[in-house]
Amino acid sequence: MNTLPVEMMGRAVRVLPLLLLVLLVALMTPLIAASFGAADIQVSQVLQVVIAQLTGQSQGDISSRIIMELRLPRIMMAFVAGFGLAIAGAVLQTVTRNPLADPYLFGISSGASFGAVVVITLLGGVSVDSGAWLSHVSLPVGAFLGASVAVLMVLALCGRSLSTQIERMLLSGVAISFMFGALTSLLLYFSGPQAAASVLFWSLGSFAKASWATLWLPLVVVAVCTLTILLFKRQIIAIKAGDETAHTLGINVQRLRLNILLLCSLITAVLVANCGGIGFVGLMVPHIVRLLLPGRFALLTTGIVGGLFMIWVDVLARCLLSYQELPIGIITAVIGSGFFLFILGGKRGR
Amino acid sequence: MDDPQPLALSIKGLSWHSGQRAILADISVSLEKGKMLGVIGPNGAGKSTLLRCLYRYLVPTRGDITLLGQDINTFSAKAFAQQVAVVLQDTPHYFDMTTQQLVGLGLTPHKGAFSLTSAQDKRDIANALATVGLTERALQPYEQLSGGEKQRALIARAIVQKPDLLILDEPTNHLDIRYQIQILELLRSLDMTVIISIHDLNLASALCDQLLLLDKGLSVIQGTPAQVLNEQQIGSVFGVCCQVTPHPQHGNPQINYFYGYSGHGMTEHDEVVP
Repeated sequence: MNTLPVEMMGRAVRVLPLLLLVLLVALMTPLIAASFGAADIQVSQVLQVVIAQLTGQSQGDISSRIIMELRLPRIMMAFVAGFGLAIAGAVLQTVTRNPLADPYLFGISSGASFGAVVVITLLGGVSVDSGAWLSHVSLPVGAFLGASVAVLMVLALCGRSLSTQIERMLLSGVAISFMFGALTSLLLYFSGPQAAASVLFWSLGSFAKASWATLWLPLVVVAVCTLTILLFKRQIIAIKAGDETAHTLGINVQRLRLNILLLCSLITAVLVANCGGIGFVGLMVPHIVRLLLPGRFALLTTGIVGGLFMIWVDVLARCLLSYQELPIGIITAVIGSGFFLFILGGKRGR
Repeated sequence: MDDPQPLALSIKGLSWHSGQRAILADISVSLEKGKMLGVIGPNGAGKSTLLRCLYRYLVPTRGDITLLGQDINTFSAKAFAQQVAVVLQDTPHYFDMTTQQLVGLGLTPHKGAFSLTSAQDKRDIANALATVGLTERALQPYEQLSGGEKQRALIARAIVQKPDLLILDEPTNHLDIRYQIQILELLRSLDMTVIISIHDLNLASALCDQLLLLDKGLSVIQGTPAQVLNEQQIGSVFGVCCQVTPHPQHGNPQINYFYGYSGHGMTEHDEVVP
């Protein structure tokens, strides 16, 4: 009895520095990240520009425009995307009790790619690079519709058994993914190389299109969905103990799981529509946070770590090659697969 | 005998069908407040199904179940979980919680969307852990506990839930005899109405106030251990021969089984387990 509070304090002492570190990195990251890129800008310059903007004395010179109109929206978008994907991954892994669940589990990514390819190849052949207003509007809309269709098909395939059979849900997602993948390949096969290149670049993810105008929708969706998920945190955690036990704790497991699935799908569809398919973040970040904070369901921390991770991946994407940007998805996949090999190696060693 | 207490639980004419097949047929049970009921019977007799109907995981085909005089279907999911706690055997493979966090799950039905875990809740969790003797294990991962400790942790979770009725599906499974006795004596000490399903008839005889004997979905008899456990009834339901004598310590029936059935072709008990 007496030892318990002391041990709990010991735990807090261990966890607190980590949280402070995360917070510090979260504050510093945008300023430092904004100094990376093609144009040579110092961190102090970034700070000056941001302060000038906040106090209403912006100069409007070239570097302040680069910072305010290109880099900061891009950093914000990367943070929102990483935050949303990490939260969605953590929650899906919990409610499906499957450590390999990720936000693209239900064919969302492949559905979105298909929607985008349909827009690019069939509806007038707008290319991402053309900068036409049509591509800014119709491409995200097409991707969002494709993602929604994929989710609805998974739900329809599961039918009534959705809640009782997680396996069926996961397998339906895999099947839908392959189906949309095949359709996408078919369309690309019959389209020009220009379209194929732009689709490939888009489906691997990029924050190059981010602007203040495109930022607000993902921001609002991720924020609202995250708040909703936080309200159900206790119930979501209880699902960990098994469906039948969760039922005896007064939870309508079927309805809760369906709602959570829809929320995560909404987050993912909006992000995919704006930034393309960025794999591994939703799978990897929740695992990293669990490794650092074992036995906790630290949703907000997971989101923040995901967002920060994404900002730095985007910095890498901008800086690794001097003459062009790399797609985000390639970098996250390299880091993600390396991470999992590392984890597997560690597990076997034990 | 104590004075008659109000009925904690009353089951009247309960049936549950899987498709056309009756798994439970016309079960009637009554249980006084604060008593411990042991549900016994061979594999496939319908013990778990009966419990699942009691905690509303299954909807009975026919029959009424009342808890403290109120039809259980009139409770909301949350209100019902505040009255009835259940300990099951189904901990999933992927379960990364400390013992303390698992016990904290018992708060779930008492908490709204915005309410945080209060200092009182933390005291409740610490007290429940102390009741089951797991205070030292509070911060250890649940997965690292021994079988008996896991069972006690699950019971601590149920204590935090503060129920009137506690239902346990085979809580003594896979435990060595010391833990079996320890778990049942712990349950008796809790001052709750308790229903358990249990295989060990001698344990049930020693520690349950009431026994319900099920066979092939039918209720054979409900009564005190002395009323339920006799040579004739054990012989016909379980298909084994035995001698029943009063236990030297507590005086309830003590069952001594006889062996050597392989050559006798006892087919009475050959049944299909669902």
